[in-house]
Amino acid sequence: MTASPVSEVAGEGPRRSARTIVLEDRPVNLDGFVEEWPEVGLVAMDSPFDPQPSIKVENGVVVEMDGVARADFDFIDQFIADKAIDVETTEASMAIDAAAIAQMLVDPNVSRSEVIAVTSGLTPAKLLAVAKAMNIVEIMMGMQKMRARRTPANQGHCTSARDNPLQVVCDAAEASIRGFSEVETTLGVVRYAPLVAMAQQIGSQVGTGGPLTQCALEEATELDLGMRGITGYAETISVYGTEPVFVDGDDTPWSKAFLAAAYASRGIKMRFTSGTGSEVQMGNAQGKSMLYLEIRCILIAKGAGVQGLQNGSISCIGVPGAVPAGIRAVAAENLIASAVDLECASGNDQSFSHSPMRRTARLMPQMMPGTDFVCSGYSTHPNYDDMFAGSNLDSDDYDDFNTIQRDLQIDGGLRHVREADILAVRRRAGEALQAVFTYFDLPRITDAELEAAVYANGSKELLPRDVLEDLKGAQQIMDRNVTGLDFVKALEATGFSDVAENLLAVLRQRVSGDLLQTSAILTRELNPLSAVNDANDYSGPATGYRPSGARWEEMKRLRHVTSAANPEQEVE
Amino acid sequence: MTATERRSLSFVEVGEAVKGMRSDEVVLAISPAFADFFSQTIVGLPHAEVVRQMLAGIEEQEVHARCVRVKHSADLAVLAHTAAKLSGSGIGIGILSRGTTMIHQRDLPRLSSLELFPQSPLLTLETFRNIGSNAAQYAKGESPEPVPTLNDQMARPRWQAKAALLHLKETERVDKRCKPTEVTPDFSASATG
Repeated sequence: MTASPVSEVAGEGPRRSARTIVLEDRPVNLDGFVEEWPEVGLVAMDSPFDPQPSIKVENGVVVEMDGVARADFDFIDQFIADKAIDVETTEASMAIDAAAIAQMLVDPNVSRSEVIAVTSGLTPAKLLAVAKAMNIVEIMMGMQKMRARRTPANQGHCTSARDNPLQVVCDAAEASIRGFSEVETTLGVVRYAPLVAMAQQIGSQVGTGGPLTQCALEEATELDLGMRGITGYAETISVYGTEPVFVDGDDTPWSKAFLAAAYASRGIKMRFTSGTGSEVQMGNAQGKSMLYLEIRCILIAKGAGVQGLQNGSISCIGVPGAVPAGIRAVAAENLIASAVDLECASGNDQSFSHSPMRRTARLMPQMMPGTDFVCSGYSTHPNYDDMFAGSNLDSDDYDDFNTIQRDLQIDGGLRHVREADILAVRRRAGEALQAVFTYFDLPRITDAELEAAVYANGSKELLPRDVLEDLKGAQQIMDRNVTGLDFVKALEATGFSDVAENLLAVLRQRVSGDLLQTSAILTRELNPLSAVNDANDYSGPATGYRPSGARWEEMKRLRHVTSAANPEQEVE
Repeated sequence: MTATERRSLSFVEVGEAVKGMRSDEVVLAISPAFADFFSQTIVGLPHAEVVRQMLAGIEEQEVHARCVRVKHSADLAVLAHTAAKLSGSGIGIGILSRGTTMIHQRDLPRLSSLELFPQSPLLTLETFRNIGSNAAQYAKGESPEPVPTLNDQMARPRWQAKAALLHLKETERVDKRCKPTEVTPDFSASATG
């Protein structure tokens, strides 16, 4: 840190190569890269300080795991040993060579359930050894088979830099018609949450409907909104791979499991969140590699009995992204979540790189094999409106994304939609929210505001709202105990019966509990699709999910495709 | 500042830090490696300039400034809260080597604060001057507008890993046995670059 950067001025110092100057200006050189430092955990997946795999079981209890005796377990070791590892099979599974287990993951002749029978007994260090045996293509092959749901899907962010509910209702409706199966929001001003979450819940059910919604907030409020049916699932329940980081958040694996049970008790879908890099970012990695610590998180999720996990570094992506093999480690953490039979919402949800090439390369290990949710937050608006601090993909990338799906015949869950259809659902969504605001005696939404929102790309084109009045209205929604069912009544009473019916169908799911099944989403017909009725059956070439039929026809459409029948025209 | 005139800064230890008696002071707590192992923030602002601006911001409000070095922690909230508790006015500022800064008040819970500047790469010398000025205004019992800060979606890919590295390096220099020490800044112009 002693060298002075001040002398980097044109005209000073030795003559530079013209090519170097061109390369120096490439976006990739705005990204941050650092040297590995394994002693403190600044290393992706290959640290000399990671433990060696081991297991000892006595009287049905794990008495040693990864070189640590039970007496010396920290609370994460104890939780994993007691709740996540199958004591019946662990000794047999642990006896298999790590490379042989990696072979099973890749080999199409070994079924998904045969692999899970083995992974259920593996310790964190053993799972790390398995991942280390795999290159990036093998990781992708493993994901293709181990993804729980047969049909891949995608999730979007619906936020607004101004927390404007009208923008959120329109973007949620557009996200729905574009194919997202889940949308989530969060806030700049937290007190706005009830109105924005309500807008997202209503907007998502305009048109064909189907997407589930969540609102990322402090945990008690998030649970409250879920229980009221103002949201439909929960995702931002974070777990960590070292005890000090957990304790910093006043939590334990047991407290997180308790919270998970609260959601399950109301039939609300939920998943945990974790990711490589969080522990080292907080200075408490205890000298372990990022992937080893993330595997501990994956097994906490498994042990807590939740159906799924959002991982893939998430908000710490700048950390694995800066070290060698970091993006391979991120793909590996997704694979391991799927390999222990969890739903995986696989990241690609935070601003990652200045380089378009690097952004795409970071996406491919999830998009090519397909995951339960390729992005756990594709920004459905320009990134400046993304209150999750920006995503790897935003609304500017829609046409590129759809083209990549078509080029490679891979399904990232989205589709091209004609402008007229998009404008129609945006308008319908805005009108529905306008009517519901009036019904609940909330601050009025004017026709001029509506008009601006229907055609807007982002919040810069919106008319400003009276924020203080909106915040009072938001508080009223909470004080009056308004629930999702009240939204249904309001929509029905104001002439939006189709939206009301869709929303009621979504809310009804929490009674049947079908959305508690692994990897559950709703189809466009509002039927649950999960690992139970849509189990991944990949077993090599010509098997498993492949885009075909109506879905493939829909994927063939882009903004500009020259007609074969009449080359002077484009395909509508 | 030019390449040939770079002000350098070191802190001279005076003794154990004690609670101030004057109600018109702001205490600035610097982190273990500030102007020591490190000489500049994450984006290369010299610590000498950062401190000079913050002190100038405090003094332009006709408030007295005092500096302490905290060695027992690299946690920004601990730094800023320590400064606030040592301050005769109850207002303190904490700063980490990478530039992350917080204005604190002694009666607030440690994890709360008056103003937090979490995105170290986006802080400019002007921001630091305003931070000093705002802290001084709080010390006088005023309610200044919070210092405006920038936001940048792409700060993460560029700076997140370096921030983690700098934090780890700073944490290595923590000595839990040490008590806060009173220090005085020693600015000297030195020819570098």
